[in-house]
Amino acid sequence: MAGVVDTIISWIFWPPLFQLVIAPGLVAALAIVIFILWFERKTAARVQMRVGPYNVSPRLGGALQLIADLIRYSFQEPIIPKTVDTAAFILAPLAMLVISVVPTAAIPVSPLPWTWPIPMEHSLLVALALTTLSPVFLVAAGWASNNKFSVIGSTREAFMVTAYELVFIISLLAVAAPVHSYNLVEIVEAQAGWRMFAILNPLAFLAAFIAILMSTSGFPFEIPESEHEVVAGPFTEYSGLLYGIDMGAAYIKRYVMSVLLTIAFLGGWKPLDPQPGAGLLAGYIAPLVVVLVKATIVMAVMSFFRAVYGRYRLDQAVDLAWRVILPMALAGYALGLIYGYLGVI
Amino acid sequence: MPPRPSRRRVPPYGFLAAVKGNLGAIAVGLKYFLDPNRFTLHYPREYIRLKPGYRGFIVLNKAKCIMCESCARICPAAAMKMVRFQAPDPRRPGKMKLYKYPVINYQRCIFCGYCVDVCPTEALRHVPAHDVVYYNLEEMDLNLEQFQVEPKSPAEVEGGIPVRYVFDPERGLVKVPEKGQAGGG
Amino acid sequence: MSSPGELKLSGWEVGETRKLPGMDVKKIGKDLYEIFIGPQHPGSGHMRIIVRLDGDVMVEVDPDLGYVHRTMEKLAEGRSFIKVIPLVERMAILDACNITLPYVEAVEKLMDIEPPERAKYLRVLLCEINRIASHLYGMGIFGVFLGHSTMYMWPFGDREVFVELAERLTGARLTHSYPVPGGVRRDVPEGFTDDLRKAVRYMRKRLEEYRKIFLDNPVIRARLEGVGVIPRNLAIELGIVGPNLRASGVEYDVRMVEPYEAYGELDFEVPVFEEGDALARAWVRVEEIKQSLRILEQVADKLDKMPREGFMHDKFWAKAPKLYKDVYSREGRVKLMPLFANLKVPAGKAFARAEAGRGEIVYYVESEGKFTPYRVRVVSPSFRNAIVFKYIAPGHRLMDLPAIYGSIDYFPPEADR
Ligand code: SF4
Ligand code: SF4
Repeated sequence: MAGVVDTIISWIFWPPLFQLVIAPGLVAALAIVIFILWFERKTAARVQMRVGPYNVSPRLGGALQLIADLIRYSFQEPIIPKTVDTAAFILAPLAMLVISVVPTAAIPVSPLPWTWPIPMEHSLLVALALTTLSPVFLVAAGWASNNKFSVIGSTREAFMVTAYELVFIISLLAVAAPVHSYNLVEIVEAQAGWRMFAILNPLAFLAAFIAILMSTSGFPFEIPESEHEVVAGPFTEYSGLLYGIDMGAAYIKRYVMSVLLTIAFLGGWKPLDPQPGAGLLAGYIAPLVVVLVKATIVMAVMSFFRAVYGRYRLDQAVDLAWRVILPMALAGYALGLIYGYLGVI
Repeated sequence: MPPRPSRRRVPPYGFLAAVKGNLGAIAVGLKYFLDPNRFTLHYPREYIRLKPGYRGFIVLNKAKCIMCESCARICPAAAMKMVRFQAPDPRRPGKMKLYKYPVINYQRCIFCGYCVDVCPTEALRHVPAHDVVYYNLEEMDLNLEQFQVEPKSPAEVEGGIPVRYVFDPERGLVKVPEKGQAGGG
Repeated sequence: MSSPGELKLSGWEVGETRKLPGMDVKKIGKDLYEIFIGPQHPGSGHMRIIVRLDGDVMVEVDPDLGYVHRTMEKLAEGRSFIKVIPLVERMAILDACNITLPYVEAVEKLMDIEPPERAKYLRVLLCEINRIASHLYGMGIFGVFLGHSTMYMWPFGDREVFVELAERLTGARLTHSYPVPGGVRRDVPEGFTDDLRKAVRYMRKRLEEYRKIFLDNPVIRARLEGVGVIPRNLAIELGIVGPNLRASGVEYDVRMVEPYEAYGELDFEVPVFEEGDALARAWVRVEEIKQSLRILEQVADKLDKMPREGFMHDKFWAKAPKLYKDVYSREGRVKLMPLFANLKVPAGKAFARAEAGRGEIVYYVESEGKFTPYRVRVVSPSFRNAIVFKYIAPGHRLMDLPAIYGSIDYFPPEADR
């Protein structure tokens, strides 16, 4: 009997599966995204003299509202207009959802080698490369919709890619230089105590943070879906569950990028320091939870901006990215190189 | 001193102001995040105790009505109509008399209150209810009996808490529950 | 030889029309992308804006009005004079008093009566409450058009303060139908002026916060500065009115150039900005709210000092029975004499104007001495401002359209009448 349970546990916690599907992959992503959506709505409501979600489960402050929304989306009729490219129209959001989660395979959540789904030698590069895939499907979704607003929305997304992609990559590379390694595990291990890269290299951190906002349509860069010109941007023609997935995918992407940001800049699972002999709980679950909590806080801060900012114009956002944020990221990279040269870490 | 123009310019804005602007916006946001100023009415668990003078639903006091038709004539939405019927005249036994009384059609009424204000005997009055609902359109066309019954707010019927909004120089409107005061205010 | 159902694309000149079965297709321009924003669109309001884009830049913008046209002018011809008030009110219910006041004034001119002093102040009181509410509404829409959801909710929440004030004064939140020929329909209730002063204090404080979160917010600054500039000359040429005109440096406000009601006796400024861009238009509104608050304070003082009488012209009140006076002294409610139902207005033509929240509103009322007006002509401020889209939006990017729209504070139901 005990053998069966052990086998099941070892299957569930088989890193390639666990990491992608459960945590920090799909299941954790959905749970945290649902929490963050609720938090975002509640935060905005608090600032804005409102109550926000409430009537579904008043005791929990309306926390079940998002579940209710999800149910509603699932039972809504997904209308697929005649004029769309049906296959692409359906597949694009699904692909976007899946691709958004994939980078979690390359993100370690514990220093212990048996918890890694893939070898972590170049994990930073792999994770970065994987995060760059999903905009393609956003553009495809808009294009397949065959709607003028969708096409404009997709085009805007394509423009935004040029704005944030480079910034995000350069600013994350800034943490590789001092550590002399692309291994995320080593990067985390280098950040003991208060020597987090967010503090040592705030320029790169800020640049990466803004790049995440840009890439996931966070305020003030909610441009591709800007309601008042392009209705819902690439998602204009979507309805029902597909629309829910579209919307969720952006948040999942934000979540995954926040996890990456946590690992690279906020010291990952620090202050925990699992020793090689640690078991499942101490060696895998506990550091995982620390990472998720940190990532959630990052996302909560991003959510708060919704209540404070409007949206930039497309050209202003791109302009800002190239003129301010990119030099900032480069300066951050230079700082990283200096740290690396001096051997500060 | 009579009204006069005053020419101004939008305050200039530089890099420092932008930094300050960012911080200021976030600070104001945080202030309300920590100390929200909300006055949402949780209808129907709560409902507003309407002030006297609120132009709510209208009831007829048939005893006071002198059948002058002013209310029907002034109604801008043609919501108020007169019903006419023959009935025995109480003062002249054995004789019939033509009675006419107003009835209201809430499908059309815009609650302008002209009818109440024009009625020379105060036979019409507003009741402090504005959220009465009907199941279908026909029901909204009241007959003479229904027009004399005071409609009740469904929230009040279902036991909601009456609240008032009071003005406050710091928070604008503040919602105060009203305890132990029965009857229309 | 192509089949009739096929559109030949080669050699198609701009402006040339070709045939498809059942339709003519006209090439509108080279590489132009035509989008129809509205009337069912989150960023259009009740109208359609036809935008032709070259890349991201608008080259032609065509406001297509009339979606909520309700034939108000025609309907007014079939109603007795007093019934026109709730009708025209529906042009802009959030600005009800300002919108109906000139009509009432025009009828008063025809009848050759003037409201008593207190009624004038009461009208000013509600007009300014409406003006603030209308500006707050406009700023809320402006905010959300820029994606600033807090600026959407805050003015709407704070507008509730003024809507509540209006409700206490008139008994209705929006459709007040407050001014009637000869006077007003209610006097201020008990404790109203104190509440008014509290509301004024609150709003002053809030305007500072608006400034922090919205006007001085770098994102909003970037979106608005230099966007949708209406040069002074163009503004005059196009006949723009209201805050939009004053943001372009023209000193024109009906309250100032031709004071009506009690405005001539009040001490306030008419803010005028030089820049003429969307940011200046936002600032003008904020400054106007400040001035309106100032007016409200003065009116509150004045009303406190005045005796509680003189809210209705003697023509309608001198012969009022005792019950009427009792109701007035008990509830502050002015009962209407039954003759209001069939108000016979002497033949003649009258013209009146007022400064509504969105600008100058003009009424022309012609009477033939019957129970109904012969003609009621309304020129509403939004109608005069609508033309702006066509002239200032081209050359801007598509994302500027909501910024321009919001800054104009264009309100389709008011324009369409
Ligand atoms: S409130 Fe106005 S619309 Fe309603 S019945 Fe009375 S007069 Fe007619
Ligand atoms: S105005 Fe009053 S008295 Fe005259 S008919 Fe109507 S309800 Fe009766």
